[in-house]
Amino acid sequence: MSDPPPLDALEAWMQSALIRPQRRTGEEAARIIEPSPQLSPAQRLAIYQRGYYLRLLKCMEEQFPALRHALGDELFRDFARQYLEARPPERYTLYDLGRRFPAYLEETRPDAEKAVGDREPWIDFMVDLARFERRLFVMFDAPGNEGKPFATAADADGRLRLQPCFALGEYRFPVETYYLRVRQGDDPPLPPCRRSLVALVRKDYRTRVFPLTPAHYLFLAALRKGESVGEALARVARQTSTPHDEVERSWSAPGGIRRRWIEAGFFVAAG
Amino acid sequence: MPADSTCDPVAELPRLGLGLGLRNVHFDHILATWPEVDWFEAISENFMDSGGRPRDVIRRVAERYPVVLHGVSLSIGSTDPLDFDYLRKLKALAAEVQAAWVSDHLCWTGVLGLNSHDLLPLPLNEETLRHVAGRVRQVQDVLERPLILENPSTYLTFNHSTLAEPDFLRQLACDTGCGLLLDVNNVYVTCFNAALDPVAYVESFPCERVVQMHLAGHQHCGTHIIDTHDRPVLPEVWELYRLAWKRTGGASTLLEWDGNIPSFEVCHRELLKAKRYMADHFAPAESGAEDGAGEESISNPVDFLLPEVMASTVPEER
Repeated sequence: MSDPPPLDALEAWMQSALIRPQRRTGEEAARIIEPSPQLSPAQRLAIYQRGYYLRLLKCMEEQFPALRHALGDELFRDFARQYLEARPPERYTLYDLGRRFPAYLEETRPDAEKAVGDREPWIDFMVDLARFERRLFVMFDAPGNEGKPFATAADADGRLRLQPCFALGEYRFPVETYYLRVRQGDDPPLPPCRRSLVALVRKDYRTRVFPLTPAHYLFLAALRKGESVGEALARVARQTSTPHDEVERSWSAPGGIRRRWIEAGFFVAAG
Repeated sequence: MPADSTCDPVAELPRLGLGLGLRNVHFDHILATWPEVDWFEAISENFMDSGGRPRDVIRRVAERYPVVLHGVSLSIGSTDPLDFDYLRKLKALAAEVQAAWVSDHLCWTGVLGLNSHDLLPLPLNEETLRHVAGRVRQVQDVLERPLILENPSTYLTFNHSTLAEPDFLRQLACDTGCGLLLDVNNVYVTCFNAALDPVAYVESFPCERVVQMHLAGHQHCGTHIIDTHDRPVLPEVWELYRLAWKRTGGASTLLEWDGNIPSFEVCHRELLKAKRYMADHFAPAESGAEDGAGEESISNPVDFLLPEVMASTVPEER
């Protein structure tokens, strides 16, 4: 029997064999692994190799169900498998597994060499859908405001602050519409290119999706940067060349967005 | 922290009875009905970073039931440095839910900064024993409680292993004072895959250190067995449990069901079959498990750890 490999070398070898099972490992496996009465060392190692990707691919499917629907099972698995090979998981939590997937899809797109305007729109859609799903996944378990009071309509504008589990999204396609239709069990066609702005707000552990106008997006983005409601309204008036009183009315008029967004849990009240 | 029968924290740990794994798909049922289960085991990594519903659920469950934390990413056998950030979070969660104990596996999950999310086997020899014992002591120093380690399911053995798994775990427990989690299904899986006798394994296991047992289903693939946790417990494993129950003096028992998870009631009924094996003269339970080979299922499934985010994402209400 040869000298045993040090533990660190053995672990590095086995991990490499899991991540890159296409490498020929038969002779190495025979030096390290005992055969069983029914399986060779390489066959025993192959149980771990098969399990590694099956396990992680299942988790990717769970994290990107709408993208999987859009791509189809086979293509989704191809992309996810390439991603897992290129970016093996690093953290102890599976919640991190899909973190780099949207960026990976963008970086490795086959038309990356072309000018932005000449690229395939369907790839843009897939990248944006992946970004949207990742954002939802993060929001599911992020710190929120459940168990604490939300702002009410009686709170003055000066006290309104965005609640902690809030996000804004800007996409090249209406990914949120596609996602919600897949959620309903539909099989929607890939949507045409159209800029989409959304707010994501979690209340009572449910994340709600709110389509936004460009002015709404501008207003909420300003609040997120720390501006007050008054400052953000002034910014909207300035940047959209809209009279200030008109902007003010669309915010605070009965049936305006102020009441609707307060009821939906956009805001908490500062002390 | 060597084992000391006069002051042994492991010996002080409670007998909790029959428990179930706390799974995302059962949250609504548990919160709505508060079922009569003795205790719950929660996967540590599923809750330790949570700022959302999982954290809220485990807090509420811990107000009514004993809770045990069971980890899958401690990687006690890895040659990478221990993750002290992970350990601090684990300790905080254990304090928050007043975990009866904290367990993980005798395995490694990754090296060189990666995590395979699998429970990978170790060569069982003196070098590994020294390495793992040193890390168990470090973990116990941080957690300020004994670590409970489980025998994993394994599909291969190393040429350079010199110790049988029960002997390795006995020595580890003796050197560090850690407790043990005897997974009866894993015994059956590992022994089949290594052509060992599972009864002899249990009879040689240091059962005096066993705090908890696991039961689960597996898939027989003809040439090997996969630990799938996706079906009822097989009759052979129930028989092994009868022996293990006797030898451990009735250690706390938990059913794991992590793939194709059925309703809470089905899981609970499966768990309660354990009562029939707690006395020699009771008849065996009928098993609903199919032992057919078919396509190989996923070993150590982990996708049950992920929430159904799509279900909790809704459009704006108008």
